[in-house]
Amino acid sequence: MLLRRKAWLAVPALLAAGLASAQTKFPWQSDGASHAAKAASVVYLFPEQVEVTAGKPSTVQMHFRVAQGLHINSHTPKDSYLIPTVFSIPPGAVQLKGASYPEGAEFTLPVDPSTKLSVYTGEFVITAQILAQRGNHLAQGALHYQACDNNACMPPKTIPVVMDVVGK
Amino acid sequence: MKRNTVVLFVVLFLLAAFGWAGWANWESRKQAAARAAAMNAPADLVMPGSEGDLPPTIAPLINKPAPNFTLEDVHGKKVSLDAYKGKAVLINFWATWCGPCKIETPWLVDLRNQYAAKGFEILAVSEDDLDPGDKQKLKEETQQISSFAQQMHMDYPVLLGGDALSQPYGGLDSLPTSFFVDRSGKVVAAQVGLTSKDEIEGNIRKALGGQS
Repeated sequence: MLLRRKAWLAVPALLAAGLASAQTKFPWQSDGASHAAKAASVVYLFPEQVEVTAGKPSTVQMHFRVAQGLHINSHTPKDSYLIPTVFSIPPGAVQLKGASYPEGAEFTLPVDPSTKLSVYTGEFVITAQILAQRGNHLAQGALHYQACDNNACMPPKTIPVVMDVVGK
Repeated sequence: MKRNTVVLFVVLFLLAAFGWAGWANWESRKQAAARAAAMNAPADLVMPGSEGDLPPTIAPLINKPAPNFTLEDVHGKKVSLDAYKGKAVLINFWATWCGPCKIETPWLVDLRNQYAAKGFEILAVSEDDLDPGDKQKLKEETQQISSFAQQMHMDYPVLLGGDALSQPYGGLDSLPTSFFVDRSGKVVAAQVGLTSKDEIEGNIRKALGGQS
């Protein structure tokens, strides 16, 4: 009889396990991150964590994605008035010693085919040279860019590029 | 009999619970797919076309008095929108870093030359960032905007510090953005993004009160 009672107690546990295994997001669970990503014209993809030799310059390849239909100026735009894409890390336990940017793709606005622009679209990679001290550090980098589509431009923006740097 | 009823109840309860879990999972996947589709859809900063297609932050300004402002021009002179009552005014928000603005500027210069005698003026409000706390930097930034305006033959008032007008003028999330103000000071049309010289001219005529 006692055993039978214990078996009944297992029912809610089984039920909970079944619900959990469904990997469900219930209607009351929000997904704030995806809303933020939807609004951003550039998102940082990866890496979230890197392991480097402490005290020695190391290379990190950072992947970004420009939203479809938009372009941002490359690091070396063809006009001095245009705002270049620049990656930075404020001084701290992780130092940015330098950054290599991809070459921009040549791009023209349909309404003005004579003006050539140098832009990034889709996914692009910035290679950063970093120098980290021993230990775990949260590098709070930033990417400054200015995005447009074929008809309009958005104001310049700076997005956070957060990376967990493990110096060993 | 009583035991069978309890077992039946439990089985039904379990079936209902798993059915609900399945539905919630399906609903969640459907929402995730919709979000992914929205993220992959071509981004469109501009909603061209009629006033009905204007961004929801800008559409309410139509047929309302244009929010007044006083800004300094590139020569340090204060310019107020109120001073232009009796004239049709195009308030053009632009920036030196905005490619589409650079494309439409020669159209604006031509149209201003064409319609100035009829009582039309353009106020070009720069959205370029300024550093008011750093005098030397501010001077350089002002000089850069002024040089750009000269290169583009913008012989109309070029005003600085457009950021201050973001809120009253609907956010100014994308450039160029233009508001067409009639002689009484009422916004009669607005455009967001690059349109066409013809469309701009049509709105200038509207602001002038149907004159051609």
